[in-house]
Amino acid sequence: METTPTRQLPWSKGQARYALISVRDMHIEYWAERGQVKAVRGVDFDIFPGESLSLIGESGSGKTTLGLGLIRLLVKTADITRGQVIYRRNGVEQDVLKLDPDGLRHFRWQECAMVFQAAQSAFNPVLRIRDQMYETVKAHRPATRAEVNALASELLERVQLEPSRVLRAYPHELSGGMRQRVLIAMALLLNPPLIILDEPTTALDILTQRTIIDLLRALQNDLNFAMMFISHDLSLAAELANHVATMYAGRIVEYGTVNQIFYEPRHPYTLGLIRAVPTVTGGFEDLSSIAGTPPDLIDLPPGCKFHLRCPFATRRCQQEEPDLIHIGPEHAAACFYWQEVERQADRPWEEIKAPSEGDV
Amino acid sequence: MSGTMSSNDVIRSTAIYQRTTKDILLGILKGIGEFFRLMARNRTGFIGFIIVVLYFVVSFLGPYVIPVDKETKVTRIFEKPSWQHPLGMDHEGRDTFSQVVNGGRDILTTALLTALISTAIGVTLGALSAVLGGGIDTLLSAFADIFMSIPQFPLQVVLAGFIQVKSMLILSLILAILSWPGLYRAVRAQVLSLRERDYVEAAILLDLGTWHIVFKEILPNMMSYIAISFAFSMTGAIYAQTGLVLLGLVPFSSHNWGVMISIAWTRGAIFYRDSAAYILAPVFTIALFQLAMVWMTRSLEEVFNPRLRGRA
Amino acid sequence: MSAIAERDKQLSSSGLDIPRMLRLIWSSYYVRQAAKALFTIFFVTTLIFFLVRLMPSNPVERFVVDLMYSQGLSRQDALDQARAIFAIDLDAPMYVQYIDYLGNLFKGDLGVSLLSRGTPVVEIIKAVLPWTIFSVGTGLMISFTLGILIGTIIAYRRESLIDPVVTGISSFLSAIPGYLQAILIIVFLGVQIKINGKPLVPIHQMRGAYSPGVQPGFTWVFIKDVFFHAALPIATYILTTVGGWTLAMKSSTINTLGEDYVTVARARGLSDGRITTAYVGRNALLPLASQLAINIGFAIGGSTLIETYFVYPGIGSRLGAAVGGRDYPVMQGIFLMITFVVISANLLADLLYSVLDPRIRIGGGAR
Repeated sequence: METTPTRQLPWSKGQARYALISVRDMHIEYWAERGQVKAVRGVDFDIFPGESLSLIGESGSGKTTLGLGLIRLLVKTADITRGQVIYRRNGVEQDVLKLDPDGLRHFRWQECAMVFQAAQSAFNPVLRIRDQMYETVKAHRPATRAEVNALASELLERVQLEPSRVLRAYPHELSGGMRQRVLIAMALLLNPPLIILDEPTTALDILTQRTIIDLLRALQNDLNFAMMFISHDLSLAAELANHVATMYAGRIVEYGTVNQIFYEPRHPYTLGLIRAVPTVTGGFEDLSSIAGTPPDLIDLPPGCKFHLRCPFATRRCQQEEPDLIHIGPEHAAACFYWQEVERQADRPWEEIKAPSEGDV
Repeated sequence: MSGTMSSNDVIRSTAIYQRTTKDILLGILKGIGEFFRLMARNRTGFIGFIIVVLYFVVSFLGPYVIPVDKETKVTRIFEKPSWQHPLGMDHEGRDTFSQVVNGGRDILTTALLTALISTAIGVTLGALSAVLGGGIDTLLSAFADIFMSIPQFPLQVVLAGFIQVKSMLILSLILAILSWPGLYRAVRAQVLSLRERDYVEAAILLDLGTWHIVFKEILPNMMSYIAISFAFSMTGAIYAQTGLVLLGLVPFSSHNWGVMISIAWTRGAIFYRDSAAYILAPVFTIALFQLAMVWMTRSLEEVFNPRLRGRA
Repeated sequence: MSAIAERDKQLSSSGLDIPRMLRLIWSSYYVRQAAKALFTIFFVTTLIFFLVRLMPSNPVERFVVDLMYSQGLSRQDALDQARAIFAIDLDAPMYVQYIDYLGNLFKGDLGVSLLSRGTPVVEIIKAVLPWTIFSVGTGLMISFTLGILIGTIIAYRRESLIDPVVTGISSFLSAIPGYLQAILIIVFLGVQIKINGKPLVPIHQMRGAYSPGVQPGFTWVFIKDVFFHAALPIATYILTTVGGWTLAMKSSTINTLGEDYVTVARARGLSDGRITTAYVGRNALLPLASQLAINIGFAIGGSTLIETYFVYPGIGSRLGAAVGGRDYPVMQGIFLMITFVVISANLLADLLYSVLDPRIRIGGGAR
């Protein structure tokens, strides 16, 4: 039970105490031979019931680590050094990071399920699907096989699979796309209020991707769970998200509604990402990738971590790291010169001029 | 890729073969250098390596320093260890320590021979099988499978029983003939994987090109694996030949550790309290050598499979 | 009619479609493995046959010549005697001999012992084989169980002190040859170390399969006695193989722990116990099943000397005696028997593996 009320985020859509899950000041580090990797360096966000948040970033941005950290499923070499993950249901608040092993076990899947990137090997190869469905439910509450079979059948139908065939199959008898959908069905078994999806379509072909995305949208419509959707693909976010957070070098650099992110990006990184998304009608000359590479997370440079790749960077950016600045309703960006970004949003990347020190 | 070679190809490939022999030697030298570097990284491996080297030095050079005691001294049968005779005397009053020093030469030579033959057969057949493919590959693989499923030691026993084992070479051949399938499989798998990858280019390359690739690229990279396999071959050979000697199957050409144990058994030295040194000396000697070899190779294995290592 | 339609018609026609039936039978994993095993046995029997006959110092020939000189027999008489003992007609052409040989094998006739004149080899084998199977089997079962338990434990506790200690001991034990360990047991526990004047392990009393005077039967007395006598060989088998199992299980478990489905299982909220058994355990055991076959062959091979040293009347010590006395029919017969047992055990292990791992089972047509 939390005694101190959770810090309110000004750009959050509602009061923190009504959010389903509130993450505050999350810091995750893990051990490598060269030193400590600071994978997540102070992340805050809220997700409200029935809403979907999309977390976008390159590989190495810390997004997957963050997702795993929420359910404390990190490898042994990783450590959550600071933070809170406040989960609220039926008026009861708990910090997931402080749960005891039993509580954590019940939290996982029942309150928050996670659909992984590697659905290929997500299942025990020696057990049939129906057995794995059954034991998932049994781990949380008493149930009979008949009950679970019926429930699983219904869910499998929702994900457009044939229950009679899938339930008695072994994982290797199903294709990659089928396994992904089985995993989604399994995630819904306990009707969790929150589902985290980590790159759920990355390993699949484009037709299956489309199927999964439509599926997810329909499912969320019907069952009203909250969704956190981790990806590097901004266009997917456009389809499924209410809010988008772009992540860079372990921090959220911009947060906003889908429309704000796509049409009013205020952080240079977000701007670059938008520019890099091909559209069906757009020409190739509009595409640009952001030059440079992400920073070394062991030996982080001072100042804003994006400044080496940023056309707006000034000396101030080299020295100070900006926190998220509240710039509009439900919109925040971690950039001192977000207004410059607004002004030069339509200019080609190479022609963008950094503001002089006196501006803003 | 065609499986047959014309006579022109054979002539050309022989010439290339001669040139690549130098490459093989260089490859082996490089492999040895890498071997030393790896050894230094791992403590138990290094200790094992030192012990193995000591064994070789003592067994091959020792006899010149400490000749075997051939003098029967009836009054000193099974004498207990003393300063002059650190391991006591045997059943004929002869110094045990000198026997131990002299006892390794045969065993180690046979082991080396066996490992050499077995490695040569395994590597050659493995490469051949992968490169030529087709019926030969199927046949050889079937052979390897069959040989691997036959229980080794009983077969060696029966073979040694039926064939008169008159020389070390014949013994080594017998032992090697049964132990090549392991390395054969590994080399074949490696060469095959390369063949799959360059499949399109292989169609364009001459047959020579493939042989060239095998000797210049694959084998040098597998050197460490081959070295490990060589070491295991040696331990296997020692296990087998000692066992055969203990069964009385291999003629006692001279004193060696296995013979000492065999004599201890037939003369009942095992059951006397006083003759402990005589029976234990060769047993520990063989056991320690096998251990040292295993330490050496296990550490090599750990280097190549980093997951087995603990956190630094 | 299009090619597809025609094929369709072919397939759906009733009646005996032999090629299809054969293909179906062959597609079964079990059938394939059984066929391979049978072929190996056949190959080995043929190999032995020709090896014996074609060796420069052909033992059969030598035997005949021996008889002729030692007993002054004519070649024909010597051949007659040899035929009785080797169960083949030595004067007939090779292929006829071979067919006779195979025929005899099918009838279960492996010839007659040279040393114990008149005793059929099959009888000898029948008397000794059960003891070896008993001791090796018990030893392997205990060793396997111990090995996988310890291996799993240390895989989970990689940072503790236990890991290097157990790993070291396992390496140690599996490096030293079994027969040497047997000798060490005898020397240290049976002769050297004495408590109150009596040796720690009464090795002399433990010779043989059971004590004289004890009646064989399903009595508790007999069973206890049998285990008492088999204790030393069993202990040696355990010592030589437990290290290998431990290390194999450790590395297999470590690999399995890194698999995605283990992480997902934790995310699903499954209990640690369930994950350790059904997720890690079962999958880590799979590669070990193939090791089982090697271990069986290895243990039976080692039985030759181990049984000799502990004076245990199994097939191993019998082979040793036959070899020492150049009793060729017994040598040949025992070797064939050992091969048969080992290959059958391999086959069983293979089948066990396919039961455990559903990915193997589906032969040609998974989906």
